[in-house]
Amino acid sequence: MGWAGPPMATRPVPSLSGRYRTLPERMNMSHEAPAAFHASAVRPGAFGLVREAFDEVRSRRRLIRYLARADLKKTGADTVFGNLWWILDPILQMIVYVVLVTLIFRRSQPDFPLFIFGAIVPWKWFTSSISEAITSVSGQDRLIKQIKFPKIALPAATVVSGIVQFGFGLLTLAGMLVLLYPERITVTLLLIPLIAAVQLVFTMALALVLAALNVFFRDVVNLARHAMRLWFYLSPALYGAALVQELGQTQPLLAQLMKLNPFFTILEAYRSAIYFGTVPDFAALAVVLLVSVALLALGAIVFKQLEPSFAKVL
Amino acid sequence: MRAATTAVDYAIDVDRLGVRYNLRLNRKNTFRNTLATIARRGDAEQSFWALREVSFRLMPGESLAIIGPNGAGKSTLLMTLAGIILPSEGSLDVRGKVSGLLQLGAGFDQELSGGDNIMLAGAFLGIDDREMDRRAPAIIDFADIGQFIDAPLKTYSAGMRARLGFSIATAVDPDILLLDEVLATGDEVFRVKSRARVLELARAARAIVLVTHDMSWVTEFCNRAMLIEHGQVIAQGEPADIVHIHEQRSEVERRRKVAETALLLGATPEVATALGLVGPGRVASVRPTPRGGTER
Repeated sequence: MGWAGPPMATRPVPSLSGRYRTLPERMNMSHEAPAAFHASAVRPGAFGLVREAFDEVRSRRRLIRYLARADLKKTGADTVFGNLWWILDPILQMIVYVVLVTLIFRRSQPDFPLFIFGAIVPWKWFTSSISEAITSVSGQDRLIKQIKFPKIALPAATVVSGIVQFGFGLLTLAGMLVLLYPERITVTLLLIPLIAAVQLVFTMALALVLAALNVFFRDVVNLARHAMRLWFYLSPALYGAALVQELGQTQPLLAQLMKLNPFFTILEAYRSAIYFGTVPDFAALAVVLLVSVALLALGAIVFKQLEPSFAKVL
Repeated sequence: MRAATTAVDYAIDVDRLGVRYNLRLNRKNTFRNTLATIARRGDAEQSFWALREVSFRLMPGESLAIIGPNGAGKSTLLMTLAGIILPSEGSLDVRGKVSGLLQLGAGFDQELSGGDNIMLAGAFLGIDDREMDRRAPAIIDFADIGQFIDAPLKTYSAGMRARLGFSIATAVDPDILLLDEVLATGDEVFRVKSRARVLELARAARAIVLVTHDMSWVTEFCNRAMLIEHGQVIAQGEPADIVHIHEQRSEVERRRKVAETALLLGATPEVATALGLVGPGRVASVRPTPRGGTER
């Protein structure tokens, strides 16, 4: 180590604490980090673990916000275009798929860019959140061995910073609708936050499990990369539900399995709201939400169960 | 007896604490390694106790030095006191806010500026923003990092990082301060400053636990000491006595190793015995101990 030269990056970035805010919040610190603790080998049961995870996320909101802001600061500050990439990225990806599907596969739809953009934005949110979350714990080994804190804050922070990037994606989508497809603007667009909430629960559940597992098996991050790619092609992003229906005539089993994919329901719901201007299938969405909540509880149990070993293994 | 009142006053109560490491799980694990380990099952010990049967009670105002050879479990004990590692058996009660410097020059986020790291530390420790804002100037001043406060932590020198870490850890009014081999860092000026700060905290009736190899620290600044070898408490009590026991035992251990090496190199048992001669005792009187854990 040693002297590493003068400070290069002294550009005026907003303080992490948002020091300029004038929020009169003065949190009792004992709510955030208890000033005393008792530790033994006795662990709470499954229900206790879920409650503990929930309490930790709730009481350490400020820590999660700081970690998320630190995360955003890094992803934004390191490139020339900065946050502009959050807008450019989905657009460029959309262009690639439009070229691929319309020119090569010749399976276009009317207003095809909007057709796939409404699926790419949420899907990007999902994949980037998951891939960030997977290494969120295993990449912070120094931190974990340095101070006691609820480790659930790490994947939670990556999911939160993902929400901000999704927000930028939605802004791009809004710009696209206003500039290119004003006739497609309908009230159903207001349903997007509802669909996003369902997706958030599902994302968080998966993030918890994968983040914990990657501490013990570093192949998880590699496997996940390919699994996500396959998952994308099996989800109705580049094609619509109609194609899956069509497939069902020749291969009913495959079509049936494809419909079990939570992202079949989620992406179709986005598409109804954004592209078709119709009300999504609420019943299917409710099922996905229920399953996601159950998965989230399970993810919290897995994470909390493995948490005591993190500092020893890393 | 004041047992009834003193029992309430302790800062740390450790009762028959044990920490076990699972050797099958380690940092570079992959599915392949795991399969290979399962296939070899039974070949080696699956787990090992980094600490066993450790009991002590620390009152506010006491400063305890933990000494012992490398791999004895000193750092594991400190991490357990910090709540980073959970006990595998026994229990631990900590009363008061814990702050510590357990990893040399670690910092919280290398990409963030020193100032942001101070605020992040506040979020980790549960100290609110205003309070942290109020303390930041003193922290920066004590760490003596000047204009570098706005530069990312990764551009800091090792000394600057250590200074900032120490400054944050001690500035947050901890009830219990844990220090792992951190007083030997930095330049002479900072060493003097950090000694003064630790003594100041000790006088303010805070409990301090420190791991060190610097025996002068133990005898000069601590009022209790504990010797750990192979995860077990060998002795605890007056610092001067414990240091004496430690030095004697290290000398015996050193001679035993010399004798062992001599044997390995082909010396006759007589020569080896002569080399390993320790005062009135002999090599044979020193029980060979299994290898201890790793310093992690």
